[in-house]
Amino acid sequence: MVDGNMTLEMVQASQMGMKALGAGIAVGLTGIATGMAEMGIGSAAVGATAENKDMFGLALLFTVIPETIVIFGLVVSLLLLF
Amino acid sequence: MLTPEQMSRLLIVASRDQMRPVIAELYRFHLFHIEDFVDQGSGDYEGFRIGTPLAGATEASGDLIKVRAMENVLSIHGEDVEPAGKQSPSEFRARIERELPGLESEVETLTGRRSKLETKAKEYEQKIAEIEPFSCIPLDLDLYRGYRNFTVFAGTVTREVSLAVPNETFGTKIKDRHFVVVITPNEHRGEVEKALQGAGFQSVPVPDETGVPQERIDFYTSQIAEAKKEIDEINRNLDAMKRDNTGFLAACEEVLKAEVERTEAPLRFATTNETFVAEGWVPAKSVAEVSGALEKATGGRIFVTEVPVDPEHDAVPVEYNNPRFARPTQMLMDIYSRPTYTEIDPTLMVSIVFPLFFGLILGDVGYGLVLLAMVFLLRRFLKGEEGQQLLTTLRNASISTIFFGLLFSEFLGFELPWKPILFSRHLNIGGEAGAAGPAIPELMIMAIWIGILHITLGRVLGMVNHARQDHGAHRMKAVLANFGWIAVMWGILVAIWSVFAMPYMPDLSKLPAIGAGVPLGVIVGVVLIALGLVLIARDAVLDIVEIPTILSHVLSYARIVAVGLSSVAIAMVINYMAIGLFIGPQLKNISIVGIIIIIAGVLVFIIGHLLNTALGILGGGLHSIRLHYVEFFTKFYKGGGIKYNPFGMKRRFTED
Repeated sequence: MVDGNMTLEMVQASQMGMKALGAGIAVGLTGIATGMAEMGIGSAAVGATAENKDMFGLALLFTVIPETIVIFGLVVSLLLLF
Repeated sequence: MLTPEQMSRLLIVASRDQMRPVIAELYRFHLFHIEDFVDQGSGDYEGFRIGTPLAGATEASGDLIKVRAMENVLSIHGEDVEPAGKQSPSEFRARIERELPGLESEVETLTGRRSKLETKAKEYEQKIAEIEPFSCIPLDLDLYRGYRNFTVFAGTVTREVSLAVPNETFGTKIKDRHFVVVITPNEHRGEVEKALQGAGFQSVPVPDETGVPQERIDFYTSQIAEAKKEIDEINRNLDAMKRDNTGFLAACEEVLKAEVERTEAPLRFATTNETFVAEGWVPAKSVAEVSGALEKATGGRIFVTEVPVDPEHDAVPVEYNNPRFARPTQMLMDIYSRPTYTEIDPTLMVSIVFPLFFGLILGDVGYGLVLLAMVFLLRRFLKGEEGQQLLTTLRNASISTIFFGLLFSEFLGFELPWKPILFSRHLNIGGEAGAAGPAIPELMIMAIWIGILHITLGRVLGMVNHARQDHGAHRMKAVLANFGWIAVMWGILVAIWSVFAMPYMPDLSKLPAIGAGVPLGVIVGVVLIALGLVLIARDAVLDIVEIPTILSHVLSYARIVAVGLSSVAIAMVINYMAIGLFIGPQLKNISIVGIIIIIAGVLVFIIGHLLNTALGILGGGLHSIRLHYVEFFTKFYKGGGIKYNPFGMKRRFTED
């Protein structure tokens, strides 16, 4: 990767690229993780709501709990980028 | 405000002959939440029995079932019917007695006839399906049976068969199978059977008909058409009846429902041979009015008294008590859970903060206007109280969106002719934005500040709730534990501030260091954290494991910025694609192909922004309400109150 011919601009550009990659990975992986976590909770929540409509509020609450993960990912990526 | 409506418990005792006027009066007031009398285990009520319905209950409920059945057949939904003026009930009862039986028998005859015709049409279709295979065989249907010396085989085989014995065979192809009819003398029956079995023979029954198959099919088809025509005629009649009687039936349902509820009310009272007792709840401000009216209706032959309320153990029904503008938000509260009688009702706070969050997230004049237009359009179609409440909440949210759009200087992702007054959210997409770029750190810190304040407010409310609801030693501990949570959170903040200087946050790093070079702020922070931990642990040691939620809950408010930025990004990408890539280059030298590309660009613009509006409503709405439900309510709110459901109904079609 690194050889003697690299200029400062090239190194900076490469760093920017790495940052962008890191930000993308942060959002992407946390998004997948959130999706996987919400998969189980969500299906159980829909089932519970179908049985008893009053469960809706609580079901929604449980379903969105793992969303924190992707929000953290987004925060990290924004901090990386800006 | 902030507390549910004050309730009083009323005890009504009177002799049984006063039951009818008392029930009528309570029903008219629509204020009395009946506490149902339960026969078993009611210590104070020894010797009492559940009452029996008043005279006329059976007839009324019978009629109600008939009316509902008719509404079902004519697909009338009472809630969707616009009432055309109110009628007097006595007049209306007479009309029910006069018109209902006739209407009922008419509907019954028509639907009975219709279902008969439908069965008939089905039967004929079945017959056609049976005859169909034989239509390609040049034999009359009566030629298939009645032979003494011949056997007839009819059925399908997978491949063609050639028989070595004398026979007459007709065949045709149906889909991927061959339909064959084989007539053979009885003595060769065995061989033919064998040969056919070898070819996967499946027998098809010969229909019990006479004449040419195609003619029979034509006959049945015409019969079906006739039946269909008649069914259409009946449906037209039913539609006409629906047009003429919608209002009448909806009003009938209302009158009869009221009648049934009134006549069956004694089933919820405690009675003896001569008297009855009704217990229930009335808003405290209406007690005098209700008891006065009851005295008047019975000529004073009644005993009404207020029973002392024990808010801890009585199942007090909860009615919201909010200023007008906060009322629509009650719907959002009911989705989560109604507050209990003793706790703080946060509806007012939600009604203010929810639109603010929504506006901060969406924050775009264009989307706000689209949303506002949508709300006013939907108002015409969406009937029912809940729908209207939802729309009013959305209206407030869209006004807030427009307001923050002006502050963020955003219109469908474009910049308005001024610089953002609040922090800029314009990303550098497609070179559209100015060189400044988004002020991400500032926006983040704003979101964190909102989180800190919102959560602190939640904890303060938690202290108030525990002070109100708990007793004895636990009360003080619980209040202090909530204070402990605040102390830990602010302790962490003070410690961070004294190490790092951050924009828009107090800078404590300049404070003098004491001791071994440790800044003063850090020491204050650590002391606060330690104090907080002790206070939390005193109430419940296990709560200590929840400490990381302080961080995650505060950071969770970053979604206000994050979700908002993603919506801005989508809007800017759409603009760049539609204008920068499709429309812009073509406008320079217009050609036929160019015009098509411009139209495509306009489509991208419209569809993209429609999609982003939908995403914005989902994102803005769900995330704002989630911040309330998960981050705010978990600090103080329990809910689970019983809905105040007063005896009576809001009349729409008839007068009281």
